[in-house]
Amino acid sequence: MQSMFWAIAGLSAIPFAFAGEFFMLGLGLASLLLALATCLLAIGVLWRRRWARRWVIALEITCLIGSLLLLLLPIGANHGPVALMTNVVLPIVVFLLLRKPRHETSLGESNLAQSGGASAA
Amino acid sequence: MFDIATGHAIGLFAGLLALPLAELFLRFQSGWRKVSGTVQAAAVLMATSGVVHLALIGHHIRTEPITAFLFLVNGLAFIGLAATVRWRRWRLASASLLVATILGYLVYIGFGLEGPDQVGVATKLVELAALGLVLVPVRGEPRNSHRGSRWAALGVALPFLTVMTASTAWVVDLARPDARHVHAGALLQATNALPTQVQQDAANRLYAETKATILPYQDSRKALAAGYRPGGPSNMPSTHWMNQAYVDAGYVMDPRRPQGLVYANTKHGPVLLGAMFQMKNLGQFGPDPGGPLTAWHQHQNICFTPFGFEFSFMTPFATCPIGAIDISAPPMLHVWIVDNPKGGPFAVDIDDEVVKAIVKA
Repeated sequence: MQSMFWAIAGLSAIPFAFAGEFFMLGLGLASLLLALATCLLAIGVLWRRRWARRWVIALEITCLIGSLLLLLLPIGANHGPVALMTNVVLPIVVFLLLRKPRHETSLGESNLAQSGGASAA
Repeated sequence: MFDIATGHAIGLFAGLLALPLAELFLRFQSGWRKVSGTVQAAAVLMATSGVVHLALIGHHIRTEPITAFLFLVNGLAFIGLAATVRWRRWRLASASLLVATILGYLVYIGFGLEGPDQVGVATKLVELAALGLVLVPVRGEPRNSHRGSRWAALGVALPFLTVMTASTAWVVDLARPDARHVHAGALLQATNALPTQVQQDAANRLYAETKATILPYQDSRKALAAGYRPGGPSNMPSTHWMNQAYVDAGYVMDPRRPQGLVYANTKHGPVLLGAMFQMKNLGQFGPDPGGPLTAWHQHQNICFTPFGFEFSFMTPFATCPIGAIDISAPPMLHVWIVDNPKGGPFAVDIDDEVVKAIVKA
């Protein structure tokens, strides 16, 4: 979902580049690349790659710090429920789900398997 | 889109209350501990969405009974599914209901039956997350759990619905702004509907005094000497020149000291289009002597980047391109000294055609 949010943000910058804001083209492309990288990291997490987990945690912490700064600084940043969900709650949830290697399967693994009731692993 | 519609706040409060309660009570259903964490999380989110729908019935029941009925059915279905996670057809039913609910919302806002607001978009975010959790396969599931088709559905449905939700909300918001959002990102000051004669006279005075002050700045060198500096890209049709000393001083609509000037960028040099008054603080609209003629506006939810001082609009999911931050600009009022037939001398924007004609000339 974060990957898609960044992809949408990247695409949203492109029309402004066509209108003459050329730096927005760079930011849009950078956002699309970030979206791609996030998607690849998500696949890495799914495949239980440790490097992916570390990168995702770093990314979420960076996002969270940036979002909290935006919320605290008096620059008129949006404080609505959607902004809080996307920029604060989502990074916190992803961070919490990935923070401990031993518990990394708590959400992503069937309790049927954990209790020995699954027919296939 | 970035406001909470009147009467929808109750949905937000109900949802916030429902989340911990759903987490608390759903675990009492039989078989809860035997399903995966993704299913549990999806059930909690679906129960939350269901409660939001039920809470909004009261707001809609008198004016939109069909909508209220659909909310009732939708809310009960979500809560019912959240309470029956061990049902054999649970995933199919949940995914179908979530997709139908999201598409139904898009149809509703697309046809103008409801405007996109923060409660609506936030609820769709919850439902999109729930849909992902319903579909995503996890380790240890039985073999006949249709993992392949669920991955395929997840890979198609979630990106498609996320992009559709964002683009529909955005298009609707741009195409049908409410009365106080004259164009994307600009909130207009609330005023009386029609100007009185006193307000008309006051607006004429403000226009005359401001025009007299800024006419010398038709020579942009004089503007530079007075402390005005261009901001933003110079390849755009027009550029705002700001006087930081006047901004910092906080003069309030002083015709002798406008905080900004607006120039058209022509090949012969800058051509003065008008002046701009700006308040010092966010949310603090200035005096409004001309009533609806001189309503101030505040730019909100714009993505600003220090690279070239450029702007774009924040997406419905409250994200900006990387390298840009979400800001609002303090309220401002333009005074156009060139003919602006579409909006008049105090319009939020100057007509593009006017600027193009000046640039070509």
